[in-house]
Amino acid sequence: MDEDAPTRGGGRGAGLTLTEEMNSAMATVTLKLNGQTIQAREGCTILEAAKEAGVDIPTLCHHPALAGFGACRMCVVEIANEKKIHPACTYPVSEGMEVQTETPKLVQLRKFVLEMLFSERNHYCMYCEMSGDCELQNLAYRYGMDKWTYPSPNERMPVDGSRQYFIMDHNRCVLCRRCVRACDELVGMRTLGVKGRGSETMIIADLDVPFGDSSCVSCGTCLQVCPTGALIDRKSAYGGRNADVTKTKSICTFCSVGCDTEVVTRAGRVLRVDGVWDGPTNGVLCAKGRFEPLYDTRDRVTSPMVRQDGRLVPVTLDEALDAAAECIASANGGGISALATANAPSECLDSFVALFRNKLNASPAAIEPLLNGLDLPANGALADLDSADCIAIVGADPLEDHPVVGYRIRRARNRGAKVVAVAQNGASPSQLASKGAGAVSVENAVAVCRSSQWPVVVYGPGVCEDQVGQIKELAGAAKFLRLDPAANAAYAARMGLANGSAPTSADVAYVMIGEREQNGEVAQRVANAKRLVVHAAYHGPLTEKADVVLPAPVWCERDGTYVNLEGRTVSARRVLTPDEDVLPETEVLSRLSARL
Amino acid sequence: MAEPFYRANVLVCGGAACSLANSAQLATLMREEISKRGLQDEVRVVETGCRGFCAQGPLMVIYPEGLFYCQVQPSDVPVIVEETLIKGRPVTRLVFKEPETQRPTPRFKEVPFYAKQKRITLRNCGIIDPDRIEEYIASGGYEALPKALFEMTPEEVIDVVKRSGLRGRGGGGFPAGLKWEFTRKAPGSPKYVVCNADEGDPGAFMDRSILEGDPHSVLEGMALAGYAIGANHGYIYCRAEYPLALERLKVAIAQAEEYGLLGDDILGSGFSFHIHLMEGAGAFVCGEETALINSIEGKRGEPRVRPPFPVTVGLWGKPTNVNNVKTYANVPQIVAKGADWFHEVGTPGNPGTAILALTGEVNNTGLLEVPMGITLGEIVYDIGGGIRDGKKFKAVQTGGPLGGCLPASMLNVRVDFDFLREAGAVMGSGGMIVVDEGTCMVEFSKFFLTFAQAESCGQCTPCRVGGARMLEILNRITEGRGKLSDLDRIREIAWGMQTGSLCGLGQLTPGPVISALMYFEDEFRTHILEGRCPAGGCKTLTRARCVNACPAEVDVPAYVSLIAQGRYAEALEVHRERNPFPLICGRVCPAFCEGRCRRSDVDEPLAIRQVKRFMADHEINNPWTPAKVAEAKPQKVAVIGAGPAGLTAALRLAQRGYQVTVFDKLPIAGGMMAVGIPEYRLPRNILNTEIEGILRAGIELKLEQELGKDFTIDSLFQDQGFNAVVLAIGAHKSRRLGIPGEDLPGVMHGTVFLKDVALGNPPDVKGKRVAIVGGGAVATDVARTALRLGASQVHIVYRRTREDMPAWKEEIHAALMEGVRFHFLTNPVRVLGDDHVIGLECQAQQLAEFDDSARRKPKPIEGSEFVLDVDMVVPAIGQATEAEAMAGSEGISFNRDSTLTVGPNLATSREGVFACGDATLGPATVAEAVAQGNKAAVSVDAFLSGVHIERPKFVTPYHEVPQLFDPEEFAETKRAKMPELPAEERVGSFAEVELGFDEATARLECKRCLRCDLEWSEWMKTHRPVAAEEALA
Repeated sequence: MDEDAPTRGGGRGAGLTLTEEMNSAMATVTLKLNGQTIQAREGCTILEAAKEAGVDIPTLCHHPALAGFGACRMCVVEIANEKKIHPACTYPVSEGMEVQTETPKLVQLRKFVLEMLFSERNHYCMYCEMSGDCELQNLAYRYGMDKWTYPSPNERMPVDGSRQYFIMDHNRCVLCRRCVRACDELVGMRTLGVKGRGSETMIIADLDVPFGDSSCVSCGTCLQVCPTGALIDRKSAYGGRNADVTKTKSICTFCSVGCDTEVVTRAGRVLRVDGVWDGPTNGVLCAKGRFEPLYDTRDRVTSPMVRQDGRLVPVTLDEALDAAAECIASANGGGISALATANAPSECLDSFVALFRNKLNASPAAIEPLLNGLDLPANGALADLDSADCIAIVGADPLEDHPVVGYRIRRARNRGAKVVAVAQNGASPSQLASKGAGAVSVENAVAVCRSSQWPVVVYGPGVCEDQVGQIKELAGAAKFLRLDPAANAAYAARMGLANGSAPTSADVAYVMIGEREQNGEVAQRVANAKRLVVHAAYHGPLTEKADVVLPAPVWCERDGTYVNLEGRTVSARRVLTPDEDVLPETEVLSRLSARL
Repeated sequence: MAEPFYRANVLVCGGAACSLANSAQLATLMREEISKRGLQDEVRVVETGCRGFCAQGPLMVIYPEGLFYCQVQPSDVPVIVEETLIKGRPVTRLVFKEPETQRPTPRFKEVPFYAKQKRITLRNCGIIDPDRIEEYIASGGYEALPKALFEMTPEEVIDVVKRSGLRGRGGGGFPAGLKWEFTRKAPGSPKYVVCNADEGDPGAFMDRSILEGDPHSVLEGMALAGYAIGANHGYIYCRAEYPLALERLKVAIAQAEEYGLLGDDILGSGFSFHIHLMEGAGAFVCGEETALINSIEGKRGEPRVRPPFPVTVGLWGKPTNVNNVKTYANVPQIVAKGADWFHEVGTPGNPGTAILALTGEVNNTGLLEVPMGITLGEIVYDIGGGIRDGKKFKAVQTGGPLGGCLPASMLNVRVDFDFLREAGAVMGSGGMIVVDEGTCMVEFSKFFLTFAQAESCGQCTPCRVGGARMLEILNRITEGRGKLSDLDRIREIAWGMQTGSLCGLGQLTPGPVISALMYFEDEFRTHILEGRCPAGGCKTLTRARCVNACPAEVDVPAYVSLIAQGRYAEALEVHRERNPFPLICGRVCPAFCEGRCRRSDVDEPLAIRQVKRFMADHEINNPWTPAKVAEAKPQKVAVIGAGPAGLTAALRLAQRGYQVTVFDKLPIAGGMMAVGIPEYRLPRNILNTEIEGILRAGIELKLEQELGKDFTIDSLFQDQGFNAVVLAIGAHKSRRLGIPGEDLPGVMHGTVFLKDVALGNPPDVKGKRVAIVGGGAVATDVARTALRLGASQVHIVYRRTREDMPAWKEEIHAALMEGVRFHFLTNPVRVLGDDHVIGLECQAQQLAEFDDSARRKPKPIEGSEFVLDVDMVVPAIGQATEAEAMAGSEGISFNRDSTLTVGPNLATSREGVFACGDATLGPATVAEAVAQGNKAAVSVDAFLSGVHIERPKFVTPYHEVPQLFDPEEFAETKRAKMPELPAEERVGSFAEVELGFDEATARLECKRCLRCDLEWSEWMKTHRPVAAEEALA
């Protein structure tokens, strides 16, 4: 039996070949919507057709990024010659169909549904964080709910605050299951589920453990799809309604996926980072991109500093730049070691290279390992994971380092793609592997890929030399997705940055580390340098040793472009203005350059 | 196979009910006994599937004779072997006997339970050994599969199923052939066949019976479906709670594979079909086909939105045909015998049979297979044998917990997919639960709702929340906390769930409630407006079922307990608080209380009426003076009619301090108690004692004062200065027969007859032949009186059957004993004679469809006329209120049935005038008249106090009487028998027939009381209902 056989495309287009998908995308049907004749793509739902035609059908459980569910019964419509009403979010359009979206019967039913929902749990809007932006509340206004027909319940439901970044308040939950479906369809984790039946139904994690103790990866996708105040972000709760905040399209700069984001700010504060639904990552972010940057507790470098009498003392930027120039200039015989994080935007790397390679003839290097030296293809895109029937993971731990790629692989696995993980020393990404596949040898992985139609190889810095040779054989047959360890590694490689992993013997070191973690290992690399200039956003082991410290902006304080793992150029936007002493790296480098 | 040829087969039913009654042990014992007698090569014991007649289990059928043994016990086994298997005689004791006639019917085929059945789907159940494929083959099984594989194309198979008109037996009734065609034509492969065996309705076990009794019929049907639609794999999704069904299926699949009838390349045809078993985890909603598919796929069992339908996107996203067990089981016979054969049974749009699980308050419960189109009445009465213990039919719930309940007026509805839906119910699973008058329809529908809402998957809003909200409302109503607006709320929620729910479960969940509300709205309203449960089913509202059943709501457990303790005077006081006629009611009350006594669930009801009589008789020499409960008031009230209603109203008003005068046109007081009930049932001195007591409350009695002649209502108000009037004028006017010769001398109406006897002016019937027409109390009273007056022959002519007679069963029995001749199903058409009666021409009747009282309507049989040679004809077919009494009085309106028009507060259309008793009820009982008298007094009191009350409530305190003895000691005590005058001493004598209990008997009888009131008091510590007035606010 082949019920486990994968279908290309997965998700909503399940069962269709690419050609079929293309054909269906082209064919149109004509139908009548509230008496008006409209054209719609064949195979689309009534809801989608209506949206295109500018007709607003109310929804609650529906979310554009999720497959049609049809459970809340808000989007019901009347279809000529159909005895029953049907949900517009799942019903496909057909030629000659006549649809009514706002008849008295439908209005009555929607009111009924709303009354039922309001009677089910605590929906006293004025106390709710989402009041003003809540989909349930908006629907209630739209349908003129001005009283409680059914008494609202007294029973208190639990509030689960066991997760670090966001809270589940069952009192506000309408059981639309967007969260459950997002966790499955978008993230592939399937952590969230439902327990109980009927009015006892509750959203749970795993087998009903506290959310914080569950397999939840805190990616926050559920938080973002929740239509009410059931899932509350700790940071942004009560921080302002949509109308009060500014939203800026940007990208996440914490790994090489470069997920599209929308940064929500108000009064000089970042409230929240949201995913972008129509972006290539389907709105999915990970905890690293969505939450962690907002919880950074490291000491910010707020002022330029120069070491005087063994102590770093704040100085003006000019004084600091003078000191830095003096340091660099002092390196005559011993040379300069110039290290930059490949997490820096392309523009910074440009300035960096311009100064150190073009002007000073040093050989600038990247702090992070660059994988271009492996001589493996990097022709894959995230979307290839969605159509893959086999995914081999070699030398990478996507769930840990590139979580959004990890989720994508889970999604593929859930729809039946075979996922194999090559055994590694220590960390094993085998939790991504298909049931029974576990960790395999590279030979096995290659063999499995060979027997598949649409294989994808996902590799990362952990790939060994001998493995490279073997997986290279798949070039041409498989797509290769390179998981660089730094957000802008592709550009860094393009710029020819050298490998900076070896300790330097240079007299002077200039380290542009930005907001990257300053671990002891990096400090070790420049331990031999007699003079050290550190360009950093935070204090750390490196700045402690520095002779000169130049302040750097953080992710939300600068504009800049990145080249992500697909080779796409993506743009980060400055949403906050840093302290006046914190200038963009390019500006600092150019002022430094002027002194040399 | 070296199997001996058996001369006899003993079939032991292994169905669900019989298994519970340990039928497996019976089979083992039978085998042992047979071996012991050396018959093991002559007689074979087979454990079969369900035979259906579960009420009589464990069942045993012995072939070749087809002897049918019921309720066989282990101790019967040696007797059966000895008598039947060795000596060839039936064991009469074990043979089925009809409940009414006790006529033994030894042969299986003659048992009325089976007579109207038509077994197609269940044809093998209970007949073959389900574990042996050979027996299925021997009975024609696996004929259809090779026929299809070698002689028919898949399209031809689909065509025959389509033409057969077979509709999906899972409840929806969708044409099976059409579904098969859709699946065949749907693009995509592979395709799947799924059998829905997730039978989850409480009380439904038809699928189980087929799977356990004839599993191969399902397998063959599925293989045929697979061939027809182009599938090579089939799944049977069966509840894990059916271990035997699963076991039998496993065996059957293995056997069929072994025989090459399943598996790869079936019979060399090139067609392969594999069947897989999936065990369900017990979610009711998994019976919904898309939820079932999800469950097979390992997902949470929740329905999917349709479209897409499973025929295009089903199991694993592939085209899938889902049918129910019964549907597949029908297919092999249809393919083998042809579409026309299937149309021979049932109705054109609904060919074939319906399998029903009949349970509840019918005599014969069990599994039945009947032709589609049979009426509900036939099922309840002909197959079900009518309602248990002679009670009244109230409703039948069809279609399981998602169905609907239908009242007596729907008994003529034909059972098929379309008619049932039209009537507000559904075919559904085929569950059929019959309830009697003791079932509260609010509670009943709540029961189903509780089940269905708990089984909601919780996905869609209307079902998940609607069910819970509706249940809350029903809970309120059953606790007396309902509001009238709740009824609209229920309808709103029901509409929302029916219109808006995602799947059939949600759409059908409101069915039981909404149908109960449609047909029994009054019962809902009574709960809400009066805080009373008429059927005594709601725990909070029912102190004890006896109290609830008593129209006057006498605190039965209190006085019964007091009698048990020998505290007779106190007991009597408790009784009189609500009913001032204990002496009379101890003799003539139909004892509504006993009809609902919980002791009858154990053995027989407590003899409440008899202990009441003992109590009252014991105190007869202590004259009662009713206590005043309020200060004397200046207002005057006139009560017209000195019957039970009038006297009660007068008493309560006098107790409340009013100056009351009672008028009656007759020379004696008592109304119908005096002139309607013969003296042998109610001696005059008893009646007079009771009336004297009441009058001692300070009531003035004016006899031979006739309303409309001697005074009018106007004159009471204007001339005599009364402030209020209570009309309790009864229903004394006898209804006419409406046939020729009715006015001949010799025709005397029953009420007149009894009145003349009572007033000492008996008609001369000595040596005469008397025919009485009617079936009520008056008819039997006249008959028995006529015998006592010396009539030579007394006939009772009644158009219905004995079971349908409204007269007391005891009265009918006594009349028979005393020599009255009954002519049932007979109606008079003409009184013969020129100047006096010489005969009564009658016509035989036959029973036709059911009427609203759940009785079959009599219909004349043309040409069946015959003449009863009689000298006297006494019509006794009912009474009406005498409208003439209103002559000269303005503003009193009547209803169409000639009762007085009154509101719920018993006020008539004229201000200040109230009415109670038979005048508003039509002919009723003393207890009902008393209840109305109590109520009328409350209304009059309110009126005279200048207060308006819509729903008067006569409130008295409940009496908490402690339990002083161990009731366990009386667990085995049987109901005491009332000593009676021997029949031969009764004729010609008006002496009381019932002789009364002695003290010891009465006190012992009282100790049989189960004291439901104590349980209620405990319950009420946590469930206090609000008063009705509060509910209205």
